[in-house]
Amino acid sequence: MSEYLLQMKGIDKSFSGVHALDHVDFAVRPGRVMCLAGENGCGKSTLVKIISGVYTRDEGEVYFEDKLIEHITPAEATRLGIQVIYQDLSIFPNLTVMENLAINSEITANRKLVNKKRWEETAKEALSKIGYDIDLYAKMGTLSVADKQLVAICRALLFNAKLIIMDEPTTALTKKEVDALFRTVRQLKESGIAIMFIGHKIEEIFEISDDVCVMRNGKNVFLGETRGLERKDLIYYMTGREINDDFFVPKNISEKPVLEVDKLSLKNHFDDISFKLHKGEILGITGLLGSGRTELALSLFGLEHPHSGKIIMNGREVKIKSPQQAQSLKIGYVPEDRLTEGLCLAQPIADNIELSSLKRLSKGGLIKKETIYRDAQIWVDKFKIKTDDARKNANTLSGGNQQKIVLSKWLATDLEVLVLNGPTVGVDIGAKQDIHALVHELANEGLAVIIISDDLAEVVVNCSRVLVMKAGRIVGEMEGKDITEENIREIIM
Amino acid sequence: MKDIKKKYGYTFMLLGLAAIVILFFTITKAGAFWKADVWKGIMAQFPEYGIMTLGLMFCFICGKMDMSFMMLADFATVMAVRHIVQNVTPEMDNGAVGGVIIVGILIALGIAVVGAIINAMLVTQLNIPPVMATISMQMVWLGISTAITRGDTVTGLPVLYTEIGHKTFFNWLPLPMILFIVIFLICWFILKYTVYGEKLYMVGSNEKAAKFSGINTTAVVLTSYILCDVLATIGALVMVSTMASAKADYGTSYVTRCILILVLAGVVPNGGMGKIINVLITLITIQIIATGVNLFSNLNTYYASLIWGALLVIVLILSTFMTDEGVISFKKRGK
Amino acid sequence: MQKSTVWQRMTKRTEFYIFLVLILMVIVIQLVSGGQLFEPNQVVTILRAMVVDGLFALGCLMVMVSGGFDMSFPAIAALSYSLATTICLNAGWCTTNAWMGFLLSVVFGAILGMLNGVIIANFALNTMLVTLGTQTFFTGLSMGLFELKEITSTLPKGLRAFGEWSLFEVESSAGLKSSMSGLFLILIAVAIIVSLILNKTMFGRALYAIGGNEVSAERAGYNVKKTKFILYTIVGALAGFTGMIRVCMARQSIPKAMVNKEMTIIPAVILGGASIYGGEGTVFGTMCAISLITVVTNSMLLVGIDTYWQKFFNGLIILIGITISSLQAKRNTR
Repeated sequence: MSEYLLQMKGIDKSFSGVHALDHVDFAVRPGRVMCLAGENGCGKSTLVKIISGVYTRDEGEVYFEDKLIEHITPAEATRLGIQVIYQDLSIFPNLTVMENLAINSEITANRKLVNKKRWEETAKEALSKIGYDIDLYAKMGTLSVADKQLVAICRALLFNAKLIIMDEPTTALTKKEVDALFRTVRQLKESGIAIMFIGHKIEEIFEISDDVCVMRNGKNVFLGETRGLERKDLIYYMTGREINDDFFVPKNISEKPVLEVDKLSLKNHFDDISFKLHKGEILGITGLLGSGRTELALSLFGLEHPHSGKIIMNGREVKIKSPQQAQSLKIGYVPEDRLTEGLCLAQPIADNIELSSLKRLSKGGLIKKETIYRDAQIWVDKFKIKTDDARKNANTLSGGNQQKIVLSKWLATDLEVLVLNGPTVGVDIGAKQDIHALVHELANEGLAVIIISDDLAEVVVNCSRVLVMKAGRIVGEMEGKDITEENIREIIM
Repeated sequence: MKDIKKKYGYTFMLLGLAAIVILFFTITKAGAFWKADVWKGIMAQFPEYGIMTLGLMFCFICGKMDMSFMMLADFATVMAVRHIVQNVTPEMDNGAVGGVIIVGILIALGIAVVGAIINAMLVTQLNIPPVMATISMQMVWLGISTAITRGDTVTGLPVLYTEIGHKTFFNWLPLPMILFIVIFLICWFILKYTVYGEKLYMVGSNEKAAKFSGINTTAVVLTSYILCDVLATIGALVMVSTMASAKADYGTSYVTRCILILVLAGVVPNGGMGKIINVLITLITIQIIATGVNLFSNLNTYYASLIWGALLVIVLILSTFMTDEGVISFKKRGK
Repeated sequence: MQKSTVWQRMTKRTEFYIFLVLILMVIVIQLVSGGQLFEPNQVVTILRAMVVDGLFALGCLMVMVSGGFDMSFPAIAALSYSLATTICLNAGWCTTNAWMGFLLSVVFGAILGMLNGVIIANFALNTMLVTLGTQTFFTGLSMGLFELKEITSTLPKGLRAFGEWSLFEVESSAGLKSSMSGLFLILIAVAIIVSLILNKTMFGRALYAIGGNEVSAERAGYNVKKTKFILYTIVGALAGFTGMIRVCMARQSIPKAMVNKEMTIIPAVILGGASIYGGEGTVFGTMCAISLITVVTNSMLLVGIDTYWQKFFNGLIILIGITISSLQAKRNTR
C-alpha cells in the first residue's frame, strides 16, 4: 500500500485540438489538504472533472487506493468515495435543509416514495458527522453562504467520502466564515479524509494546505509540500513571471478636497461617516462583509439614499439621487460583481465601453455606430484590451480584460471621482497587477480614487490612506507607512 | 465575407425559408399563386398585425414581455369606436366626421399610453416579473371592455373610417401597407440611429449593468412599453377599420401570432438581440403561408396555424445548435 | 440554533395569506349579500363551477413547480376531447356510459403531452415558447387537419348523463332546487392524488428539485430528461381528462371553447403561490386561489354587481394578489 489515496500519472486531455491537460501528474495523500492552484484556464477544472468522472481522460493512469481505475463515471466516483463540492454548492434553494441533506442518498438508493422520518434521520446523521446544528426545516435559500457550504459538506460526508474536492469555496465568504470553514476542513483532515482545495488566493493556500499542486497552461509546474515553499516562488509558478508589488506613491495630491462626506448615515447600514477625498490620492475603505462599505459606495453613486448627512463636491453641497446625477457630478462607480452589474456580456466590447458616454458621442438623440467603434478603439489600444475587433462580444474576453472594459467605460467619461468596489475580485494575479498599475497612473494624473475592498493585500499596496469600517462606523484611519495588513486586521475584527 | 456571413447568417436562413415557401406554392399552385390578387391580398392582410409585431419587438429587445398589448389595444379601440359612433350624426359633413374620428384615435392612443405606463410601473417600480404583470393586466383590460360593451360588438362606424382599411392606391397599394412601411422605417431608424436604440439593446442585455453605467433604465423600459402598446393600438385601429366594428376580444389570436413571428425572427424575450430586417422577412413569410394555404380549396385557414406552430418548434430546436446569431437557447434568469 | 415552529413556517407561506383572503372574502360577501352566499343552491353552483378550472390548474401547477410554463394545455384538451367525442359519436360508443370517451381523451392528451415532453426534455429551450408553438400546432391539427366540428345536441347520451351525475338535491330558502354535482368529487380526488405525487413521491420531489436548480438535480442523480418527459405526459393526459369533464358538464364539444383558457388559469396558479421561476407552489394554495376566484365571480349578482364585470374583478384580484406577493418577496430579499 502506497502512501497515496489518489494517484494520477501522465494524464492527457484535449478538446477539439486544444490541449487542456498535458501529461499531468497528481497525487493526494489521505488526511492531508492538497491545494490545486493556478490561474483561470490553466486546466484545474478539467483535472477535477476527470477525477469526478465528468470527462474521460485521453491518456494516463489513475490509481485510487492503489487500484488502477480504468474508467471513471460520476457514479463510480461516488462509490469510490470521491465527492465534489462545486462552487455553486449544488443546493436547492427552494427546499428545506433536511431535504437538501437527504435527497442525494435517497436518489442513490433508488427510492420511489418519500418517508419523512427516514429523511429526518438521514439529515440528522449527516449533521452529526461534523457536529453541526441547524434548523432542519429552514429553507435553504434563507441561509448564509457559509451555512450552505456546511450543509453541502455534511451531505458529501453521507457517502463515506474519502476525498472531498472543494471548488473555490472561499469566494463568497467573509474572513470570519473562511476561518470557520478552515476549522471544519482541519477537523475532516484529522478523521483521515483527504481534502482537495481549488483556489488561487495565495494567503489561503499557505494557511490551509499541506501539499500544493500548481498548474499553468495545462501542465503541472509544481507538486510538493507547502512547507518550505516561498510566497514569491508560488506566485512565479502560477503566473510564470515575477510579480513585484509596486506600492502606490501619490505624486500630486490637491490641496482642496474634491469630495467631502459629512456625518452621512443610512439606517441599518452605516452611521455618521465623515471623510475627505483629494485629487490624486487613492483612499481605501475596508471592512468585513456587512460593515456598510458597499452601501456607502452605493450612496455616493445615487443607488442608496442616506437619510442624514451631507455630500460636498468641490465645496458645494450636492444631493445624489440617481446614477445619472452621480455621473453628471463626475462620479464613476465600478461595481462589485463584474458579470451581473458591470457588463452586458452579449453585446460588443465597444458598446460596453461607450455605455456611459452616449451623451458625449450623440447629437440630438442620434448616434452612429461608427462613432462608437472609433471612440472605443482608443480605449482598447490605451488599455491593451486583448481583442482583434472591438465589435466582438464582451464574453469573448477573459476576466481581467473584462474588468478593463468596465474601467474604461468610466474613464471614457469626464471623471473626477472613481469608486472601485472590489476591483480585482476573481481576476488573475497577472491581470490584477495591470489593473493596479493603471489605477496608480490615473490617480497620479489627478483622479480621486476610492478603493473598497476586503482584500487587505490590495488595500495595502494601492492606497495612500485607509479607512476601516466596522458595523457601519469608521473605526480607524491610517496613512502612509502605517498601512499594514497587521494594523488593519487588528481593528477590523 | 466571413464577417457578412456571420452577421447576417440568420437573415440568410430566413430568406432561405421564405424561398422554400414561395417555391413550394409556385410548384403546387403556380397558376393561382402568381396572380396580382394574391399579392394584393398579402399586402392588405399583414400590415395590421405587422405593426403590432413591430411594437412588441421593442419590448422583447428590452428583455420584457407584454402579454397585455392586444387586450389593451382592444379596449382602446372599443373606447375610440364608441366615441366615434356616439358623436357622428348623419347630417355631419366629411370634415366634421373626420374631426370626431381624429379625437377617437387620440383617445385610443391615450389609453394605450396609460396602459403602457401601468405595465412599466408594475415591472420597474414593483419588480413584478413582466409575464406575471402583463398577464394580469390583460385580464383587467378584457374585464373593463367586456363590462362596458356588455360583451357585444360595437358597430356603426362611418364610411370615412372604414375606408382606411380598404383604401387602395394605384389599384395595388393598400393604405394600411403605406402605414406599415412608414412605421417600419421609423422603427428601423429608432433602432439604428438613436441613443434610445443603443440603450435598448444594452438594457435588454443586462439591465443592472446598464443601471450601474448611469443609464436611466426605467425610462428605457417605459419607452419600450409605450412604443409596444401604442403600435399595437395603431394596428388594432387598422383592424377595426377593416372589420367595421370593435369588440372586447377581437384579435386575441394575434398575441400568439406576434410572439411566434418575433421568436422565429430571432427576437427572443430575454432581450438584447434581434434585427428588424429579420422581423420583416418573417412577417412576409408567415403571411405568404396563410395566403398560400387558402389557395387550396380543400384546406381551411387553420392549416396555416399547423404550419406556423410546427415551424416555431422546428426553428427553436434548430436554434439550440446555433451559438452566436439568431435564436439562442435560454434559461430562466433573475433567480 | 433556533428551531422554527410549524406556526412560524406556515405564516411565511403565500398559501396561508390566500387562505385568509378567501375566508375574509367569503365573510364579506356573506354579509353584503344578506346571507345569500351560503344558500345551499349557491354553494353547489360554486362548487360545480370550480371543477374544470381546478383540474386545469392542478396540471398547470405541476408544470410550474418544475420551472416550466405550459401554454398548450387548453389546446391539448380541446384537440383530445373533440377527437374523442367525434370518434365516440361516429362509432356509436358512449351511449350508456362515458368510459370510452374518457379513455380516448386521456390517451390523446397523453400522446400530445409526450410531444411537448420530448421537445422540452431533450432541448434546453424556453418552455413558454415551445408550448406556444405546440399550442398553435395542436389548434391547427384540430381545426385544420381533422376539421373537427362542434357537437352539441348529438352528444352521446353516456357523456351527457355523466355530466348530470348528481350526489344529492338541495333546496334554497326560496324553494329553488339544485343538485350537487358528483364531478366535484373528481376534483377532490385529483387534488389529493396530485398532492400525494408532489409530496410523497421521489418524482414529485424531483419536480421541486428541478424547479429549484436543474443543474443540481442532475448532479444529485435525478434523470432530469425522463422526469420532464413523464411530467408533460401526465399533464397532457390530465388536460385530456379535464377537457372531457368539461364536455360532459357543458353537454357539448366545441373545438374552439378552450381558446385563451391558459390566460386565466396560469395567473390563478401564480396567485396561489406558484413561482414562474419554479420550485414553489402547493395544491392547497392553488385550490384556495381557484376557490377565491370562483367565489368572487359567482357571487357578483349577490352583491349587486353586473355580471359583465366578472372578468374585471377576476383580473383585479389576480393583479392585486400578484402585486402583494411580489412586494413581499422584495421585502424578504432585503
